[in-house]
Amino acid sequence: MGHHLVAELSGKHSAFLETGTQFAERTRQRELTGFGPLVVANALAPLFVSGGLERGHIYGVTGDASMSLLFALVASATQQGSWFAMVNMPTAGLMAAHENGVALQRTVCVDVDASGGHMSNVLGSLVDGIDLVAVRSPQCSGAEVRRITARVKAQGSVLLVVGSAAAFSPDAVLVAHTQQWQFNTHAASRTVNVTAQGRRLHAQRSCAVVLPHCLGGVSGAA
Amino acid sequence: MSRSIVIVFPQWSLHHGQLGEEHSFRIFEHVVRSVMSVAPLVEVESVGVIAIAARGPSRYFGGDTAVAEKLHHLCEQANTNTSWGIGIAHSRFAATVAAHVSVGRQRPCVIDPAISEEFLRAVPVGSLAQVGGISADTVGLLQRLGLRTCGDVYVIGEVALIDRFGTEGKQIFRLVSGAEVRHLAPGAPPSDFATSIEFETPLSSAAHVVAHTRLCIDAMASAISSAGQQCTRLLIVSETDHAEHNSRIWAEPRGFTAAAIAQRVSVQSEGWLSQVDTDPDAPTSGVVRVQFTPLECREVLVTQPLLWGGHQENTERASRAVSMALASSGAVHITVPQWEGGRDVATVYSRLPVSLVDLGDAVAAEQRVEVGHGAARHWSGSVPQPSPALVAVQAPSVRVTDAHSQPVVVTGRHELSSTPAFVYVAEKQYNVLRTAGPWPVEERWWDPLRRRRHVRMQLLVSRAHGSQLVFLVALEHQQWSLIGRYD
Repeated sequence: MGHHLVAELSGKHSAFLETGTQFAERTRQRELTGFGPLVVANALAPLFVSGGLERGHIYGVTGDASMSLLFALVASATQQGSWFAMVNMPTAGLMAAHENGVALQRTVCVDVDASGGHMSNVLGSLVDGIDLVAVRSPQCSGAEVRRITARVKAQGSVLLVVGSAAAFSPDAVLVAHTQQWQFNTHAASRTVNVTAQGRRLHAQRSCAVVLPHCLGGVSGAA
Repeated sequence: MSRSIVIVFPQWSLHHGQLGEEHSFRIFEHVVRSVMSVAPLVEVESVGVIAIAARGPSRYFGGDTAVAEKLHHLCEQANTNTSWGIGIAHSRFAATVAAHVSVGRQRPCVIDPAISEEFLRAVPVGSLAQVGGISADTVGLLQRLGLRTCGDVYVIGEVALIDRFGTEGKQIFRLVSGAEVRHLAPGAPPSDFATSIEFETPLSSAAHVVAHTRLCIDAMASAISSAGQQCTRLLIVSETDHAEHNSRIWAEPRGFTAAAIAQRVSVQSEGWLSQVDTDPDAPTSGVVRVQFTPLECREVLVTQPLLWGGHQENTERASRAVSMALASSGAVHITVPQWEGGRDVATVYSRLPVSLVDLGDAVAAEQRVEVGHGAARHWSGSVPQPSPALVAVQAPSVRVTDAHSQPVVVTGRHELSSTPAFVYVAEKQYNVLRTAGPWPVEERWWDPLRRRRHVRMQLLVSRAHGSQLVFLVALEHQQWSLIGRYD
């Protein structure tokens, strides 16, 4: 009976499971057509199944090093030509963004009156043409969130929700926790433990990175 | 050469795009439907651009001018709240240019065959990028070579253009010589990838048609991409049980994905199947057959702008998105960073309103953010790198005290009065572990009115559960404030 069950299960599911080669083939195809994942720095690649920010996904970014992590995540993609929008982040340190490698010539800062219910229209318009949109603690109703999510998926952009995700249900949440500061003559660098978990990941993924690095950018922790 | 009619709505996305591309497509479908009363086969180049072959309609209605008037009335009746232009000329490119000319004039622009050559020669070379699909980098090069009009480019000759620009050069020569690049011929030779699907029972709803064609679309899209190509123009024909046809050419300069094809099928069949009964074209049965014929496929590499070092397409999409966001709500304020320099962490980059800059100008953007542009790169007394990831717009006041709860001050020689032990931010106490600095700043000491004197310090603090934070605090006029946090 056990044999039967196994045979039945494998027969039933083999059509839906994909082998490693098929997966590699599929991702290569998408990269050829320009719809592959947006690249991230090598040190952060272990956090993602496909090695980069998946288009059409919503990511949550939290923790006590969330801003540095946000800059480190988007840096490589903006250097390669993607645009980046920061919504409702008037306190974001642009100099720190520059030191982390964010291409500021392709960055726009957007401030929206959070109370008036304009957020969904503005976010919707932005994700239509900008690959990376980061927003801090958006105030949106459930219906607005569903509309924004649908547009992110349709346009293949990436939405990063910094701080509390509110009504959004992110595909993966990235949490950055400070481990240790290198603090001699000044605050030079910091080891951060980044974990990723979410419904698109089978298990929790984590990595340790130096963020910010005294030379700028992000690198893996020894 | 084949005469073409082109109708453009240059502001369409701006006026009808607030709810996304999908929505603006659906509204545009009404216009396309009404134009189809003039010609059965139309091409939707993108949202807001329709192309029709001029020969048939022009004979039927008695001349180009009559067709143009008819189309003008149709657009007027469609009541779209946005401006439009109609152009008729001897090639698609010339007709598109004429249509853009006609937007400003508020009446159709018909280019007589006698002057068509002359018209095309006088078109400015920038139009090749704006409506001809030639990359902006190439057109920029042509302009720097001193070629101002298409006539100048034509004189260079096909051989020299192909020599310098390859396939793009060939395309340029076709455009400027008025040869047709895209044929609107219904009898085009079938592509290798052409496919069709038949349904057992007639389907009378657009959603059903999309659901049943999806597998077929996926198969075709993967066949095209396996061949290393992407489809940029596609003919979709649907047919009912009673042999009624509905055909439409769709174009997508970025290349069709399976999802994009499915969306076009949905828009096209919804418009057709939900037609009112008064329309003589209305189908009397459900759809039983859908046929896909890719009319134009090209190597994938051609449109990979990133490989060639250009980001023009991304930039165009982004600036469109920014103008849409601005239009969608009055309560939105969009800025871009500009390098200012200085010692103040909050104002090293200022934020320039986006209305003052041209987002499409990549060179100006590079200059705007270049560190050290027009100002010194390193300032004495500035806080060492790395910079704080969070900077205060209005720095909140904090209290810094020593172990005996006495406030810490800085002497005239920039020395601390005692070692800081606690810092209170919004009445929350943090233990100070290490300090760095103080870094004194004396600005404009020669000017009694504008002079400013303050010191900055970094504080490594620990929170109740042991995690470490770094604050950047400043002391000015005996008052400490939190000017940044290393988030």
